[in-house]
Amino acid sequence: MANAKRRNVSEVEQIVGRYGGERSSLIPILQDLQESFGYLSEDAVDDLARRIGVSPNEIFGVATFYAQFRFRPPGEHTVRVCLGTACHVRGGHQILEEVERRLDTKAGGTSADRKFDLERVACVGCCALAPVVVVDGKVHAGMTPRKVSPLLSRYGKREESKDA
Amino acid sequence: MKLTIDGKTVSAREGETILDCALRHDISIPHLCTHSALPPFGACRLCLVEIEGMRGYPTSCTTPAEDGMVVRTDTEALGGLRRNILSLIMLEHPSACLVCAKRELCDQYRPEAEKAGRTTGCHTCNNKEICDVRVMAEEFGLSELPVPPIYHERPVERSNPFIDRDLNLCILCGRCVRICRHHQEMTAIDFIGRGSKTRIGEAFGRSPYEAGCQFCGACVDVCPTGSLCDRYAKWRGRPERRTATTCLFCNAACALELQSSGGELIGAKAVDETTPICVLGRFAIPEFLYGAGRLRVPVVRADGSLRETQWKEAIEAAAEKLRPYVGSGFALVCDTTSTLQDRYIFRKFAREVMRSENFVEIEPDARGASRVELPPGTKAALLTGDFVDAGQLEPLELLIVQDCYPTPASEHADIVLPVALFPEVDGTLMDVSGRERPLRKACEPPGQARPEWWIVAEIAKAMGAEGFAYDSVATISREVGKSTAELLTERDEAPPAATDVKRRRAYFRGHRIDEKVPGLRELPLDDAPASARRVGVEAESAGGFRIVQKREVAPNIHEIVIEAPGIAKKAQPGQFVIVMVDETSERAPYTLSDWDAEEGTITLVVLEVGHSSRKLTVLREGDRVAHLAGPLGIPAEVDRLGTVVVAGGCYGIGAIIPIARAMREAGNRVIGIVEARSHYLHYFGQKLEAICDELIQTAIDGSMPTKGHAADVIGEKLRAGEKVDRVVVIGCPFMMMLVARETQPFRVKTLAALNSIMLDGTGMCGACRVSVGGKTKFACVDGPFFDAHLIDWDELFTRRRAYAAHEVRAVGRTESVALHACEAHGAGAAR
Repeated sequence: MANAKRRNVSEVEQIVGRYGGERSSLIPILQDLQESFGYLSEDAVDDLARRIGVSPNEIFGVATFYAQFRFRPPGEHTVRVCLGTACHVRGGHQILEEVERRLDTKAGGTSADRKFDLERVACVGCCALAPVVVVDGKVHAGMTPRKVSPLLSRYGKREESKDA
Repeated sequence: MKLTIDGKTVSAREGETILDCALRHDISIPHLCTHSALPPFGACRLCLVEIEGMRGYPTSCTTPAEDGMVVRTDTEALGGLRRNILSLIMLEHPSACLVCAKRELCDQYRPEAEKAGRTTGCHTCNNKEICDVRVMAEEFGLSELPVPPIYHERPVERSNPFIDRDLNLCILCGRCVRICRHHQEMTAIDFIGRGSKTRIGEAFGRSPYEAGCQFCGACVDVCPTGSLCDRYAKWRGRPERRTATTCLFCNAACALELQSSGGELIGAKAVDETTPICVLGRFAIPEFLYGAGRLRVPVVRADGSLRETQWKEAIEAAAEKLRPYVGSGFALVCDTTSTLQDRYIFRKFAREVMRSENFVEIEPDARGASRVELPPGTKAALLTGDFVDAGQLEPLELLIVQDCYPTPASEHADIVLPVALFPEVDGTLMDVSGRERPLRKACEPPGQARPEWWIVAEIAKAMGAEGFAYDSVATISREVGKSTAELLTERDEAPPAATDVKRRRAYFRGHRIDEKVPGLRELPLDDAPASARRVGVEAESAGGFRIVQKREVAPNIHEIVIEAPGIAKKAQPGQFVIVMVDETSERAPYTLSDWDAEEGTITLVVLEVGHSSRKLTVLREGDRVAHLAGPLGIPAEVDRLGTVVVAGGCYGIGAIIPIARAMREAGNRVIGIVEARSHYLHYFGQKLEAICDELIQTAIDGSMPTKGHAADVIGEKLRAGEKVDRVVVIGCPFMMMLVARETQPFRVKTLAALNSIMLDGTGMCGACRVSVGGKTKFACVDGPFFDAHLIDWDELFTRRRAYAAHEVRAVGRTESVALHACEAHGAGAAR
């Protein structure tokens, strides 16, 4: 843990250095941070704040304005459920609900075991295959709520072992 | 530089905006987000103007005035645009009261805001009297909203020990964010998120302290709405008096505006809005003045114990006891938080009366601590604070303490004299740079507390000394004038003032400030471990009545199911119970909304509207209320009458249900008419639908299909010739009075349920006295239902306000208790 933290700090330093510590480069810095760590952690934001002299609150305010930034570690796999027009009319919502139920998280969240990120997207450009679910970039066509569970278990989702 | 605004030629200063220029020339342009202490922002768009040769409608707050400009501020197009903009702002700001047709009557009967948990309209807003949005809406004559308002259902955030944040009122003008950015190197708040989810907050949901808040309170001062408020001053309304004075907590001597009402201090803020003050000046003063244990009465030791007495005797006792020490072994110890005049008198007393050179004046350290050793050979001492270790006091032959709170020294003293503190006195003090600053009296000292100079001068006179006949600070000042220099030169170099909340002063005259100001304990100092002393939540007792279920069915309206088999077995429609949340609570009546004899439970619908209801509504499932008495009152008279209107408002929507059900079962046609300020305040719609033959839900702001008050609907029905045989109404007195006024001309018998202030509920105490048809009745045993046409409503309103001032004081306390209770339950502060 301590190692990881030290690593973070030196990387923040490097990234900030790339932009000359300019507060006007906040967004590219945040993008690089996210690319490097997968998300914007409290430690990274605090460290960045000290280095560029901007309050962590202000950085958080800027970052939350953009949908691209996340503040929790990403899950192992990314599940994107399409709700574009074609998927919508073919029952995308029921599929999303089923995925939400199975992963016990809402769209935009991460499952408790950190295995899956769930995102809601508006059209992935293969409407003929609607409704679709995209896992780690692979498109799964003609989805139905019943196909959700088998699909997730292929990526390591263990069946509901809802311990008491 | 000259320009024309609305046909008037005016001169502009270099760099001035059109708005500033117009305002300077008494040309008014509506504006909300602009603030005199802040740079232009252009967020609210209300200050739009037309400028010849310029496209569109620029905001006058961001457009610099230029030579030869022709500006129009008041055209039809601008009027329309501004109205639309304001309407949009109002959509996300609880605005029902602003568009309410009965606004004026309401203000007349209910001038003070209701102390609700969450604000759902001006009538439940602490900021009612000073709201910029309200002023704007009134100026625009806004009488309806184009679409139903949005209520975000956000919990009131209380993780700041001094500030309540209710984002349901926030219009995102950004004044708070901007003043924070201006005042603090590292802003403690910012806009978080985007679009309709944008809110003001801290990074990662941190508490304000963790996020770097310095608690300067500037955000509260600039907030145009009731979103941000000083919890202590929250329900105290507009201060009657504002006094410009100086803070004495440290020698930075910041200029303060102290606010008071009825002689009591209610708040403080920076005089100069462009410079921040510290947490002590902004938030600590009222609680420090009115903390538990403040010394109020002179006390003299007689036969080993301390006895309260009058000033005359105390002064005489002091004079007599001091006399033997004239010229031998007397020391007077004070610190520089006493005024120059006080210190002058102390010195004069020590030298001229006691003939002692042992006048010890301490300069507090950076933390405000003032400790000193008594000069060797001291036999008698007069201390003005907790400056000396107990071991040194032990050998003294005589100890006189004049102080504001008890200390080990005062416990040990022969005479204890209560002093007035700095907001309670006139005088001057010396700031860190050696300048003299004024102190002005802003409020009355408690009990018999007196200024320090007065006490010592009285002792001097009683000892027969000449030259102590001062009648005011001014008379001393004239004398001090000559010797100010002397007071100055003896000062050591003063420590710098700390505006950093973690480096603030912890002591005032030896007293720990956070002992009197509990909120400060949540803001640890940098050199002290977090004093995790929290207000303890009483251990759950096995006695009392268990809460089985609890939920907030609409903002501020809580449905509470309590285990009470005895009451459930006997309850009848219209009856009520009296609840005491704990052993020392107020006894408050609540109408039974439902009961289940088999399950042994009763259901109350409680409106969170003050100290006692807050205490009840912060309880959780599984908690217990100490006492529950009921069922009380005469049940509603249920007969086959024909058509019965049951009308409800607020908690009455829930309370009316048993009566509606019984009336229906008795074979009546039941028309339910329930009112709320806005659509989001309605609840139990389905339940009522199932019971009533006809159900009309109205919203005062027009956000439901039927607009207006329940009274309006009843009036319309009667005027249209509909036959109504009985009206039963439960709600606030204002709502019931309105209904009574509508039904009276049609002579429709109308029964109103009165839950006036009650104590015993058995007709003994008389607190619930109401006048009905010229006769005195007791709501608890003769009621709760009375003929609404015979009730003396004006008297009822007056009696209900009897304890308003006490209530305001109490409610501030519960809000911190509520917070602690939440934390103790592991829910954390509302984030």
